[in-house]
Amino acid sequence: MAISTATKAATDALAANPAPVSVGAQEVHRWMQSFTWDFDKNRTKYSTKYKMANDTKEQFKLIAKEYARMESVKDERQFGSLQDVLTRVDAANRVHPKWNESMKVISNFLEVGEYNAIAATGMLWDSATAPEQKNGYLGQVLDEIRHTNQCAYINYYFAKQGQDAAGHNDARRTRAIGPLWKGMKRVFSDGFISGDAVECSINLQLVGEACFTNPLIVAVTEWASANGDEMTPTVFLSIETDELRHMANGYQTVVSIANDEAASKYLNTDLNNAFWTQQKYFTPVLGMMFEYGSHFKVEPWVKTWNRWVYEDWGGIWIGRLGKYGVESPLSLRDAKKDAYWAHHDLFLIAYALWPTGFFRLSLPTAEEAEWYEANYPGWYDMYGKVYDEWRARGCEDPSSGFLPIQWFIENNHPIYIDRVSQVPFCPSYCKGESTLRVLEYNGKKHSFSDQWGERMWLSEPERYECQNIFEQYEGRELSDVIAEGFGVRSDGKTLISQPHTNKDGKLWTLDDIKRINCVFSDPLKAL
Amino acid sequence: MSIEVNGGRRGLTDPEIAAVIMAAVPDKPLETQRKMNYFMKPRGKRINEYEVLCCYSQPTPDWIPGGLDWGDWTQKFHGGRPSWSNESTEMRSSDWLAHRDPAFRWHALYVKDKAEEWRYTDRFLKAYSADGHVRSIDPVWRDEVLGDYLGAFGFYEYGLFNAHSSVVRDCLGDTLRMSSAMIGLDKVDNAQMIQAERTFLSKLVPGFPESTDIPKQEWTKGSIFKGARELVQDIWQATYDWNEILFSGHMICDPIFGQFVRREFFMRLSSYYGDNLTPFFINQMQLYFSQTKGITTDMFHTCLGADVEFGDYNNRLMRAWANKWLPRTVNALKDFMEIYATIPEIKGVSDKPAIEVALVRVFDDWKRDFADPINYKMDTAALVKTVLSGLK
Repeated sequence: MAISTATKAATDALAANPAPVSVGAQEVHRWMQSFTWDFDKNRTKYSTKYKMANDTKEQFKLIAKEYARMESVKDERQFGSLQDVLTRVDAANRVHPKWNESMKVISNFLEVGEYNAIAATGMLWDSATAPEQKNGYLGQVLDEIRHTNQCAYINYYFAKQGQDAAGHNDARRTRAIGPLWKGMKRVFSDGFISGDAVECSINLQLVGEACFTNPLIVAVTEWASANGDEMTPTVFLSIETDELRHMANGYQTVVSIANDEAASKYLNTDLNNAFWTQQKYFTPVLGMMFEYGSHFKVEPWVKTWNRWVYEDWGGIWIGRLGKYGVESPLSLRDAKKDAYWAHHDLFLIAYALWPTGFFRLSLPTAEEAEWYEANYPGWYDMYGKVYDEWRARGCEDPSSGFLPIQWFIENNHPIYIDRVSQVPFCPSYCKGESTLRVLEYNGKKHSFSDQWGERMWLSEPERYECQNIFEQYEGRELSDVIAEGFGVRSDGKTLISQPHTNKDGKLWTLDDIKRINCVFSDPLKAL
Repeated sequence: MSIEVNGGRRGLTDPEIAAVIMAAVPDKPLETQRKMNYFMKPRGKRINEYEVLCCYSQPTPDWIPGGLDWGDWTQKFHGGRPSWSNESTEMRSSDWLAHRDPAFRWHALYVKDKAEEWRYTDRFLKAYSADGHVRSIDPVWRDEVLGDYLGAFGFYEYGLFNAHSSVVRDCLGDTLRMSSAMIGLDKVDNAQMIQAERTFLSKLVPGFPESTDIPKQEWTKGSIFKGARELVQDIWQATYDWNEILFSGHMICDPIFGQFVRREFFMRLSSYYGDNLTPFFINQMQLYFSQTKGITTDMFHTCLGADVEFGDYNNRLMRAWANKWLPRTVNALKDFMEIYATIPEIKGVSDKPAIEVALVRVFDDWKRDFADPINYKMDTAALVKTVLSGLK
């Protein structure tokens, strides 16, 4: 159309219809796929054995400003609840103390996952070639910043308003002392960002988010609420509204590689490895946090696990991907066995190493022991009687001179760390699936607790060289390690971690630990 | 009572459960230090909310300066490359966690600003269209400059946006990572705003092409954006050092090329051609430029250039990077000069003397804000002369 004609037409159109006109987000988004162009150097900086298709679409078609509008509305609702009504009813001081302690760990460790997911989705944004697919990952980059801030806000809120700020106020500095940290880094940090870009996507989006965020972010809100915590549901359910888009990103990652020949060769192996990587930590740790980190129970962890992991994810979600050749992981069967006992095994060890935490742990009460036995027949004979013995020996009392780790040593039950997952296990005293395997490589011994991790290590030992806490602390006295890791409260002597949450119980100090003279040793050296 | 709670009973509101909880809660708080991250050194007098929510979320070991963790990575890349490493950049720092967004924007504050801008954009466009402003735009300016060349400039913004992906993956600090993602999002927002303006015009002006075909042709094959395209491609995909990507993009390319095109061409000239629509969008882009400048000058000048241990080395490296990227940026501007041949000349506005004044403004700004702080020597007159040689 000639220019002068166009101007006249614009004038005529306005005269005929002067209604206000704007531009919607979708009207802009529909051009996004054309935003890129080809050039010689256009390739990803992060190699992948898969080829992601150039025409992959995203399911949630957001532009930058519409994304901001959507999130801002959610933020207003969430922070309004936290800062207004929940503060006015003093909600943080009406949470059961056991759950107050659990949130020190859950919120901070989830923050690490969210934080690393910023980098992970940055890598995927780089790796994808289709602008819409890049846009989907970009939205997730921003979401993960949001979630990092939100998780921090939970600790910030509990520190400012709650009954025991220690651990909430300095988790980022003290979290690295104990035995749960390195395993958490494997699943929530390095597993998301170090490897083939698509393999990382499978870890993050296809397994971490599609499988474990349901128990971690949704089920946890029921446990929180039952134990008086309304802050966590307020924040976590707002987080979960974004997770749907992340699961869709994972789905689209698979769609983008579905026609690539490499997918038929490698995808199911990568999925199996990713599932085992994630479940190896989350299955025991989530079960432990829920059941042992609460007073009021919602349901046995094994039921939650079966519903979310086995049926919803392993069956329905993976089933939807079946048309792309995706199969349920072979390791799902072994994981199902772990869902019953592994969290009980882990709590036994975590409690034994309680001084290295940044939270208080509690032994099960009589009524809780009854609940465990009713839901996990055989629990008392394996675990309950040990806790009774520890309690009888004064494990909660600073003057007793007894740390439960001594029980493991006295009874010749060495605790090892799995080299691949970094999860501690005691092969001679457990009901879960862990068995000890020891291999030597480059003059160094490595312990493993299962065949799946061992296989990963045998394929690529150079990826799993990280020293564990026993190697790191070997020969060092426990109170020195705690002091060096800032595991004390603001008085400079009382430990952040404690072996009880009794309101009238005495609190342990560095001196109490020093008197026991507990020195770390590496169990692999004894083999 | 049973400790198994079913049916959605809530501990905060259920009297029976609440009674058990309150009996277990300590009579007084067990800890008096209530400030999260109390151990950190704040940028200002006190630790602010941004610092509480963002700082030290990066879980790097202490051999990456600033990190609080210890030991090795629990899983590495195939072949053993570490998750994050000091070798990912030539820059050196005694604390990679030292950077602060001068506006202290964490996610909620960032999206709140942008959401307000979106709502205001919608209201503005409705008022603009209803008022019939579009009739006043010079047809050549509208159909050729906005239709083709502003559209082509959208690809510049989109390319620079993509340059942030590997920065977001590789950088070594939490506040760095969050800032990089946000300034990256602002760049794609710029590209989207340009397309929004073109879509808007297509609704008001029958026959105005909404499609990106011609702009893409101009960007990929035309001579006006040739230098800019090659520059952006190399920042995006040929540069692996995440600091160099940020430095070349935000300390050289965008403050010179981007500033000239946005501020001195589209925004300054548009009103002379009856266009008061484009400045609305460019002003938002200029706000983002200003915020980004605050962020990147904090990264490169306040933190790296003033680093007690590595400041001298870092400034030397930045000068070397300036030597590498400045000539290419000048060349991009030189190519861009061809655009003046496509518009009706207005004396004192779009003629050579006016262009020269505009170029001096841009280079003087760059000298003051970017070159002087790293003691980089430049000859503005020579640079302007080189650029002007591109005028047809």
